[in-house]
Amino acid sequence: MAGRTTRGESLWLRYMVLGSWALVCLVPMLWFLSIGLRPRTEIITPQPVYWPTFSLDAWHALWSDWPIGAYLRNSVLAVAGSVVIDLILAIPAAYSLTRYEYRGREDIGFYILSTRMMAPAIVAIPIFFLFRNLGLLDSVWALMLVYAAINLSVVTWILRSYMMDIPKELEDAARTDGASDLRILWEIIIPVTLPGIITAAVIAAIFAINEFLFTLLIASTANAYTMSVALANFTGGSDGIIYNAIALVSFLAFLPIFILVVLIQKNLSRGLTMGAVKG
Amino acid sequence: MRALFPYLLVAPAVTYLLSITLYPGIYAIYQSFFLVRFNEWIPVGTDNYVELFADTEFWGALLNTLIIGGIALAVECLLALVLAYFAYRDPFIRGWRIVFLMPMLFMPSAVAFLWKLAFNDGRVISDLLMRLGLISQNIDFLGSVPLARLTLIVADVWQWTPFLFIIFVAALQGQDQEIEEAARLDGARWPQIFWNISLPMMRPVIAVAVILRGIDITTMFTNVYIMTNGTPGGTTETISYFIYRQGFRTFNFGYASAAAVIMLIITVVSAQLIVKRAFRSGRA
Amino acid sequence: MASIHLDNVVKRYGAFVGVKEMNLQIADEEFLVLLGPSGCGKTTTMRMIAGLEEPSEGDIRIASEVVNGLDARDRDVAMVFQGYALYPNMSIYENIRFPLRMRGVPKNQQDALIRRAADMVELGDFLDRKPAALSGGQRQRAALARAVVRQPQVFLMDEPLSNLDAKLRASMRVQIKHLQRKLRITTVYVTHDQIEAMTLADRIVVMSRGEIQQVGTPDEIYSDPANTFVAGFIGSPPMNLIEGQVHSGRFIAPGIDIAAPGHMHGNVTLGFRPEDCGIAPDGQAGLTGTVYGIEPTGDSTFLTILAGDKQVEVKAPRDFRAPLDSCASIALDPARLYFFDSATGQRMRSTQ
Repeated sequence: MAGRTTRGESLWLRYMVLGSWALVCLVPMLWFLSIGLRPRTEIITPQPVYWPTFSLDAWHALWSDWPIGAYLRNSVLAVAGSVVIDLILAIPAAYSLTRYEYRGREDIGFYILSTRMMAPAIVAIPIFFLFRNLGLLDSVWALMLVYAAINLSVVTWILRSYMMDIPKELEDAARTDGASDLRILWEIIIPVTLPGIITAAVIAAIFAINEFLFTLLIASTANAYTMSVALANFTGGSDGIIYNAIALVSFLAFLPIFILVVLIQKNLSRGLTMGAVKG
Repeated sequence: MRALFPYLLVAPAVTYLLSITLYPGIYAIYQSFFLVRFNEWIPVGTDNYVELFADTEFWGALLNTLIIGGIALAVECLLALVLAYFAYRDPFIRGWRIVFLMPMLFMPSAVAFLWKLAFNDGRVISDLLMRLGLISQNIDFLGSVPLARLTLIVADVWQWTPFLFIIFVAALQGQDQEIEEAARLDGARWPQIFWNISLPMMRPVIAVAVILRGIDITTMFTNVYIMTNGTPGGTTETISYFIYRQGFRTFNFGYASAAAVIMLIITVVSAQLIVKRAFRSGRA
Repeated sequence: MASIHLDNVVKRYGAFVGVKEMNLQIADEEFLVLLGPSGCGKTTTMRMIAGLEEPSEGDIRIASEVVNGLDARDRDVAMVFQGYALYPNMSIYENIRFPLRMRGVPKNQQDALIRRAADMVELGDFLDRKPAALSGGQRQRAALARAVVRQPQVFLMDEPLSNLDAKLRASMRVQIKHLQRKLRITTVYVTHDQIEAMTLADRIVVMSRGEIQQVGTPDEIYSDPANTFVAGFIGSPPMNLIEGQVHSGRFIAPGIDIAAPGHMHGNVTLGFRPEDCGIAPDGQAGLTGTVYGIEPTGDSTFLTILAGDKQVEVKAPRDFRAPLDSCASIALDPARLYFFDSATGQRMRSTQ
């Protein structure tokens, strides 16, 4: 980090800009948190209430009125399962794309990348019919399969980027030492790319937790509702949208994601760009 | 056998992806030539497409997507660049980064509800603007086309500016310090260095980041679904939402598939034209 | 213990020929150095011996068995790499153990072998460390230990010292040579550093553009170069090469007029080493020019003379000094002059 000099630019302006944006980030979050910790009567009012009374109504309601445990379980199962599927498929794929020269390699790599561009809406209807015919609607298994599919391109490309960083020499050394290709993958490549694997897994998990459209179509009961889509169902008939429950669940999902991201902070930009930026 | 080995390694992933892109793609193309009524498929030739091309709602959805997405993307890019410019040499960059990326870590559906409450149901934004004396009476953000679009843009900008910010900061920190130092010795000031040296060197990174953001923004669905439902008068309906509404609200699956096919074509063409190049140069 | 034979080995990459028609016999227990500039095909040759690349044509035999098509892991060779190629996820102990594990050496024998190999390179105290916690020289020794631990038939070393600083390089050189002599394992060593080649090799193979230029002992390569390439590549600084004409027994070029062997005529390149000439008293000069630069190195002074537009290096006594652009006269040792055909670069030997 060179050049912390203040010459040529005023510190005042810098901290003014950065500080303002920090407020833009934090204030809505804190306000939303306050929504989660106030009674329903103070949410939708003729005049907004800025200093609410503290209340854990929403917290109690979550556990008594809603199957929040089931939503959590569905999210965790579907997300974790999808990440495992992704890694099982992406590790050999990325290895193939980085360590071998063969015809069509570039095109295969690009095809995998291009699936990242596919809008969920394009394939939503066929996927819906597919799972209906398979009898998998409203099941965590369907979500798992879909999440894995959405993230497979991202995971493969992140891993590809990390594997490309491994010197070819390392593999040559292992080969002359007598290791087979699969041994090299298992004993050298996977351990050495572990930071990349973790990064890819975290990024995929976040995208999976966030997924909305497919989940909306596939899930219809607490059998498969995840946190993301359950939010849209916190309505109490005549009561309208139950915002304090929504806010609490939002923060409930935020916390683990936040922890995961802090863990991979160094690799975050690389993960977000599918390996194109080495941060 | 040895020559086949790399193909074998990549085959499972490719097969899996084909099953969620090629199969649904073909299915959508096939279905787009039918009128689907519950379990009855009536072949209608190209009727769906003819109707679609005459459908002002469809063209409207495309236009809305471009307007909302384009403005949001431009604002995000500009904000992220300015913030990155000020932040990347700051001694507290780690702190800034953590704070700035927080909005990105909420579920998009949560962010949509946050802004739905702030703009519409809770009237907080309107109230704050009144207290500041900027407006004299309550605004109905869903009552006007630009304001309704604005709410979607604000929600997207708030959540996703950090995405670009993080990437830009990484790119700026990763660049060769010697080049900046040489420019300083040559008498350039920071804004000049940024504009003339850092920014051009970042171009491949900016391209990749903007493309990734652009993909997500042009497929925007969640915010529309939760915040506006397309109101007023369909002016905030994006193409993704249009397909969803045709398919799952009016159960006009053949028609929705025709729209999906058009979107697929746009996707494939832009993938070939833009993404391939950007990702090549981005890792040069 | 094995000899290595390369019979008409060719390596092509598409239209580009990396190694041309190479024939080479490496004797059992020999220390052979492949020397040449980058891109001369020396590393490719070594990688073909290792089995990391397949020759496009020709046969490679190790211990008289043809190994073409045999994967690297099935050849009994060990390789040391320029970047050390230690497995960063494993401790030094695990690194050295890796080849034993891969080749199924029984578990109860492994530990003794590992410790013996580590002691050989004085790394016994570092076995628990990860490669990242070692210095460059220690990493290089760990890579050596990993290579020696399973007593392979052949050692291959690909510029193993080029990432080390000069002082370490010198001490590692001695260690490598000592190990090779003690273990008596046939060794092929690739380098672009002619000092390494001279000090280590039993025989040196000088390569350029995929072709062998000369094969010989270090002494032969140095004192009897086959062509201008070898002459200009070996020595530090290398041999001076001056293009000129021979007319009626005199070699003439700007600043030079000396006797040449009688049978030569036409375009000839004269070669002489900086250490085979000296500052001459006036009137006895073989070469005259002006002083271009002076580089004292401590034990001697290297003088660069401009003769015509040609720079000539001369080794002068340590206390020699002269102003820039002053005239300099150089005496050449007539017994240590080399003549090459300017057109082909080949050595022209005097017919006695």
